[in-house]
Amino acid sequence: MCVGLSAKVVSLKDGMAIVDASGAKRSVSAQLLSNLNPGDYVMVHAGTAIAKITDDDTDETDSLLEEL
Amino acid sequence: MTDTRNKEDGLAKARRILKEYDGPKVRIMEVCGTHTHEIFRQGVRRLLSPKIEMISGPGCPVCVTDVTFIDEAISLALDHGCTIATFGDLVRVPGTKKSLQIARGEGAKIKVVYTPLDAVEYAKEHKDEQVVFLAVGFETTTPSECLALSNAIEENLTNFSLLTANKTMPAAYEAMKDATDLYLYPGHVHAIIGNQICEDLVKEGVSGVVGGFTGREILTALAIGVREFEKGKPFFKNCYPRVVTGEGSPQAMALVNEMMEPCDQQWRGIGLLKNSGMQLRSSYAAYDARKKFDLSGIVGKPNPACRCGQVLQGQIQPQDCPCFGTACTPEHPVGACMVSSEGACSAWYLYGELTSKPLTDETV
Ligand code: SF4
Repeated sequence: MCVGLSAKVVSLKDGMAIVDASGAKRSVSAQLLSNLNPGDYVMVHAGTAIAKITDDDTDETDSLLEEL
Repeated sequence: MTDTRNKEDGLAKARRILKEYDGPKVRIMEVCGTHTHEIFRQGVRRLLSPKIEMISGPGCPVCVTDVTFIDEAISLALDHGCTIATFGDLVRVPGTKKSLQIARGEGAKIKVVYTPLDAVEYAKEHKDEQVVFLAVGFETTTPSECLALSNAIEENLTNFSLLTANKTMPAAYEAMKDATDLYLYPGHVHAIIGNQICEDLVKEGVSGVVGGFTGREILTALAIGVREFEKGKPFFKNCYPRVVTGEGSPQAMALVNEMMEPCDQQWRGIGLLKNSGMQLRSSYAAYDARKKFDLSGIVGKPNPACRCGQVLQGQIQPQDCPCFGTACTPEHPVGACMVSSEGACSAWYLYGELTSKPLTDETV
């Protein structure tokens, strides 16, 4: 139950967002986040978008490791 | 943006650091059940130098759900005729005498939902039933539960309430800090609450890294963690900045704080931790199932054979429990740590050291 997933907002309507999580589309509540726009990335938990995240750049780990 | 070749180099570098680590012995506690599960599934433990020990902490919400809470839920279903709406994992958690699953066989009405918002929809469509949602979870789940309740109130539903056992991570960090040299903090929790608590713990000498959940993200966080640890000074490093920002998610926190207040909370196997939970404020008493149905007086008794408490505090590994794999299996769990796939006992049972597959580039 505790697994969160990051997803991209595809569309928004009536407090709900259709999000794309690695290709799987699902409908989640967008009521907790104002100013969401299609194209934004969010963290989804228990059917609710709970936080806006920067993007889904998986290369982040490499830049972190470069500092070592 | 780096090219593919560099990407592989980064992963290889993290693996090499973890394999060749020869600094002081370090015990790393992954606090979150999702990390426990992924660390096993991805075979991370097999990559580590013998000087690095991973221990599982108390961050699986199912595993720390107190026996009394399960007994209360069963009483709501069987004695008060309520419909219990819940995340699926909780159904098999043992109470004093039985689980909700067994109670179902005795007539309890239990509806498994993916999100608390679905429980509100169910209540809307079944106005003749009293629907109680079992509100467990940490900072990541609590906002959805508050949102569900706020929607129910907006819809004027009087047949929806919450039975709360919500918990907060910082209390667990405080309680477990002597059991570990380095925390692997869960990224999604800190996406909500921000990083201040981690910075504050550094002042108490507690080190940690916050990390994501893919194999690549976990290895990166661990590699950076051990490199910093070697330097010998307490530190905190955010290894998941695309998700975890300094301030967290103010809107989610504002909703929770409007509806809930901190309280002392029972943690299964660990005991009462001060200020480690959230309960509904008295202005929401009409939606607090514990008050609405007067559940006072229910006190559960855990199975004395179960060693979950020690497992959750990193004092023993699951296979040190005499019940592990014999009396206690995922099909017949004796304790809560064997129920959810995020529980340490279940993860050890399912993936155990020998059977865990090695981390390959395809798995990250
Ligand atoms: S193996 Fe079962 S009984 Fe033993 S600590 Fe784990 S959950 Fe409890």
